[in-house]
Amino acid sequence: MACLSHKSEIENTFSDVRMFSFLEKKSSMLDEEKINALLDTILDFKDSLIKKTERIHHINECIEKLTWLNDLDEECLMLTNDLISAAKDLHSSLIRQYASMSYIRKKGIAKDEIKNFKDSMGELKEGYEDLESVFFFLPKIPDFVETTRQLSLV
Amino acid sequence: MEIFCLEDFKVEFEKLFSKKPYSTLESDIIDYFFNKSFPQLCSGTRLNNSEKTPYIKKRLKGRGGFRFYFLLILKDESIYLMFVHPKTGPMGSDNITDESKAYLYKKVLACIKSDDLYKVELDETDSKLIFKKVVPIDP
Repeated sequence: MACLSHKSEIENTFSDVRMFSFLEKKSSMLDEEKINALLDTILDFKDSLIKKTERIHHINECIEKLTWLNDLDEECLMLTNDLISAAKDLHSSLIRQYASMSYIRKKGIAKDEIKNFKDSMGELKEGYEDLESVFFFLPKIPDFVETTRQLSLV
Repeated sequence: MEIFCLEDFKVEFEKLFSKKPYSTLESDIIDYFFNKSFPQLCSGTRLNNSEKTPYIKKRLKGRGGFRFYFLLILKDESIYLMFVHPKTGPMGSDNITDESKAYLYKKVLACIKSDDLYKVELDETDSKLIFKKVVPIDP
């Protein structure tokens, strides 16, 4: 009796292993497809982030170049003010996007791309703040204006 | 172009350069400022709306993300390094305030007038900075 019971137990286990092995052999192809799809999604995500970062860098360069324009009239100053507001709005949207990536960040996915994206956002903020300083705040500081005047005489 | 700096710049440079995360500062300065013409240095954010004496804030990429504040004087072909701070790392900080920008600006003019400056040169290997105190000329 004991021998029969042992045989049955071995057969059951064998059957279990056999079935599992068979299913795994079949499913390996499916898993590969799933992994490839996941990797493609990650690559697409990285690519869109790289493109977005490049676009922010381009905008940052354009904003920086505006500080080299001379003697802006009222109309240009008003336009610059609108530009600063739009850049602030853009920055808020980008911050929201960055916050929504927290799960991906924690998983260590697209680490470098997310860091570069974050750095470019920081530079965007710095850029519009500097633009505001150059055309609206520094010209209101008497010492600053006086130093510029004295340097023009050097 | 001749390169000068304020005491503030020298102090800040020495403080930062002694820290490992900012070990590229010296080479960053050499690469960006030395052997450059006036137009080549006219990039970054111009703070003072001046063509002949631009006061510039320059962001340099790299490990420290350094921000340099300097003045160019076209007529003298001179650069005056005023201040540097890193954006990242243990001594990283936010941008300086507009009042600080105005203070540095006023100070550099006073230092130019009184020759209270350091001349910044390269050593014989062109890889190290040497700071030489400018000796004021008696009036």
